[in-house]
Amino acid sequence: MTSATEIATFLKTVRLFSEFADAELLAFATRLDERTLKKGQILFREADHGDEMFVVRVGTVIISKVVSGRVEQVLARAMPGDFFGEMSLFDRSPRSATIQADTDVALLVLDRDNLNLLIDVDPRAAAAFFQSLVSVFIERLRASGELVAEITRWGLEATGLDMESR
Amino acid sequence: MTDTAPPRRAKLELLVRHDGDDSGFDIRLIGSAAAWVKMRPQRVPAEHFELAEVTSRVDRQRSFILKNTQTERFLIVSESERFLWDQMDGRASVQDIATAYVLRFGQFDFELIPGLIKKLQRAQLLTLTPASRLRYALARHRKRRLLRTAETALTALERINISSRRVQPVFRRLYRWGGLMLFTPAAAVVCMLLAVVGLVAGVRLWRESDVAAGFGAHPLLAILIVKLLFILTLAAHQVVHGLALVHYGRRVREFGFTFLHGFVPTFYVDVTDIFMASRRARVVTAVSGTLVHLVIGALWFMIALRASNGGFVQAFAAASGMLQWQAFVVALYPFCFVEMDGYHVLVDLLGVPTLKHDAIAYVKSLVKGVPAPVGSRRQAGLLVGYVALSVMSVVAFLAFNVWIIIHATT
Repeated sequence: MTSATEIATFLKTVRLFSEFADAELLAFATRLDERTLKKGQILFREADHGDEMFVVRVGTVIISKVVSGRVEQVLARAMPGDFFGEMSLFDRSPRSATIQADTDVALLVLDRDNLNLLIDVDPRAAAAFFQSLVSVFIERLRASGELVAEITRWGLEATGLDMESR
Repeated sequence: MTDTAPPRRAKLELLVRHDGDDSGFDIRLIGSAAAWVKMRPQRVPAEHFELAEVTSRVDRQRSFILKNTQTERFLIVSESERFLWDQMDGRASVQDIATAYVLRFGQFDFELIPGLIKKLQRAQLLTLTPASRLRYALARHRKRRLLRTAETALTALERINISSRRVQPVFRRLYRWGGLMLFTPAAAVVCMLLAVVGLVAGVRLWRESDVAAGFGAHPLLAILIVKLLFILTLAAHQVVHGLALVHYGRRVREFGFTFLHGFVPTFYVDVTDIFMASRRARVVTAVSGTLVHLVIGALWFMIALRASNGGFVQAFAAASGMLQWQAFVVALYPFCFVEMDGYHVLVDLLGVPTLKHDAIAYVKSLVKGVPAPVGSRRQAGLLVGYVALSVMSVVAFLAFNVWIIIHATT
């Protein structure tokens, strides 16, 4: 079991919590649960229900989406300091992707109750948290646009379609 | 002159789960180029285009005008492009088409196929929905539950593909550890001796033994086991093809197992690199794989002859031997409408890579009373001869099998 101080020290390196004061981090760290995954273990699958978000503390997870049958497209990899699962935390919709451990992994878990508690007891820290979250979302939106362009280019190249001279 | 780097090819990163194992998966990075060579371009249906030949009065060079009768768009194609157009039947992949081109013209221009595909797409002369005739038929009758189930099952089976592209080191090791012995004169002599001994054993079995009695009360189960064992020898057949590639200093690009058309279990090896070697190398590569069946068949016949008369072992070995030798004949005999090793050797020697396709089309035109134009009487004779010989051979093959079954059961 990792101590709250160790978790707080780690959180200090995570972009989401970069605006937190030390005392806020320590208080917040006590509210986070820990979860570990063995290599290959699935945390959740696309369409599962859930209301937690996760911060990777150790290891790497693969974020993928089913394409057909046993084939999934790898959307991204989350490494130490990265987070995922926040969409279901906020909009209560089913999970949009599958998360599977690429190595042995240690995660920190933030559920809805603890997020609400953060908003209630420390609005300044919560505002800093959401501000960082928005800037990460913007980056991810840009990355999604890049991925769509890459997939479209793949399709054009794979079929030899020449759109320029049509 | 500027030295600009070639454009980076797009890649998809896919996670493929192991069957029945939640935690197991492979990550595969698929480049668009790999998908492109597997694409099977398909020209529009015959009633949607017209093809006219024009010959230059200056240099007597032949070219063709393709017209899309739906869009009234025209396209001029050269003789070599017309050859490629003929290959685009939705069944041949870009890789197959390139291979046929090399066999026909003895050279290859890497820009030719992409350039033609672009031109054809612009003129809307290509469709992007190629599939096998069986799949078309099933798709047309999708409303019927039974056929929909069959289509779903075929799709599921087609997805089964266990293969590796990192097999060259394995084949090299196999070659070093004894595979090289297969390509020596001594191996050829042993092979011939085994064939003679196997033939003698087979004839003696036929005359002296009651082979069918050995299967006793479970003939179907026994035949099923014989067939399953046979499928394993198909792997050996493909391995020998791969070893031949190594023998000629070429690269084995892929080895795997799949269900051909969704229902024929088969092993395969990608030997396309052999087209860069000599004709002799291509012939040896094609023939060497089939000899596996000749050798194994001969061994089975020898085992059957030594087994107790009328027993299960004798029946099993004799049936296996017969199946192996039939596989040998079917694989090596070129006149049976099946494009196997013997057919590839024949078209390579004749320099007519589309023999089957051309022959069937020509004979169809004869039957309809509107003979398609061919280059010479000799070529017409070749096309008619191929179809006639193939029809006779298939009939003879079926008759032989019926005769064997009747002989074995009476």
